[in-house]
Amino acid sequence: MNKNPFDTFVIGARKGFQIGINNLLPNVLMAYTISEILKLLGVMEFIGKVFGPFMGIFGLPGEAITVLLTAWLSSSAGAGIAVNLYASGGISNTQATILLPAIFLMGAQLQYMGRLLGVADVPKKYWPALFVTSIVNSLIAMFILKIFA
Amino acid sequence: MPEKNTIDSQTDEKKALLTGKIHVPISGYIALIVAIIFFSGLLMNIAGMKWISAFDFTSLIGAFGTMKEPAKNSFVGDGGYSARAGFLFALSLIPTTMLALGFLEILTSYGAMKAGQRLLSPILKPLLGIPGFTGLTLITDLQSTDAGAALTKELYDDELITKKELIIMGSWQFSGAGAINNYFSIGSALFAFLTVPLIVPLFIIIIMKFVGAFFIRILLNTVYKEDFKHE
Repeated sequence: MNKNPFDTFVIGARKGFQIGINNLLPNVLMAYTISEILKLLGVMEFIGKVFGPFMGIFGLPGEAITVLLTAWLSSSAGAGIAVNLYASGGISNTQATILLPAIFLMGAQLQYMGRLLGVADVPKKYWPALFVTSIVNSLIAMFILKIFA
Repeated sequence: MPEKNTIDSQTDEKKALLTGKIHVPISGYIALIVAIIFFSGLLMNIAGMKWISAFDFTSLIGAFGTMKEPAKNSFVGDGGYSARAGFLFALSLIPTTMLALGFLEILTSYGAMKAGQRLLSPILKPLLGIPGFTGLTLITDLQSTDAGAALTKELYDDELITKKELIIMGSWQFSGAGAINNYFSIGSALFAFLTVPLIVPLFIIIIMKFVGAFFIRILLNTVYKEDFKHE
């Protein structure tokens, strides 16, 4: 170890700032705008009705599926949609807690397909199994938190 | 495409631009019309058709929150929506992200991750059927998806792990990739609303990584057994 902890902290904080500006901010801005479009078009209400029974298994309203669908493309955007839903009264504190691990367990899979499975040369034949496993992981995590949160 | 062709097509494009003889695909005209309508503001206030403002730039900019209760509201305000609200909200998260990653950096420099690796290694073989030394890669993945992926590839290229072990490692990393860093940077958006201690959802994520990888191990040993009979 050759740096003092203050310098080390600053290196980490700088990484945090970069992630905040380059990743979090554009994704959350997009998520908020998409939420608005879906609300204006009435899609949110429709999704809420259609997925209500399924999401009910996990103690969530139907609209919460938008969090999962978005998280699958980008974790930041998924988190943004969740916050937006919370702010508009769509989900409660408990429901936000239930969603949090799921956002990451099935998060950003489309990106990680290239960045992880592609780079590590995991044979393509097994990719579908890995996708399904991740989604099942999320569902189990939501179920666990439904009981304990 | 060979490089020479690329250069030729570039000069062709330049010539076409200079002479005004450019080929415009039909999608170009459609995009232009959409752009004009989107930015025009014409769709902003059509009586009885509020939904149509979903295609209007001015409507989608949204609004910043306001100080409805100045004693309670932060600078994000209350009642904001769409792009403007998203911007301010994301900005309000940045201190959390910076503080979390600053501390993580210090703890990592004191060897927290190495200790994690030491504790993880003995359970990998019995639980997932992968060698203990892969613990370093798995711990790395908790911080950085890309670094974990690069290390995994190296292990396989150097023939230190078999194809089956590669797939099991891949499944562990794939679900909840970069868990710790992502949790404290992106997940911080939801921290204020949690009904359980901060560590619980992160703990569940890590446990589920093992559950998923264990499931894949079983799958490879049963359904895909034939694929690995030479290993």
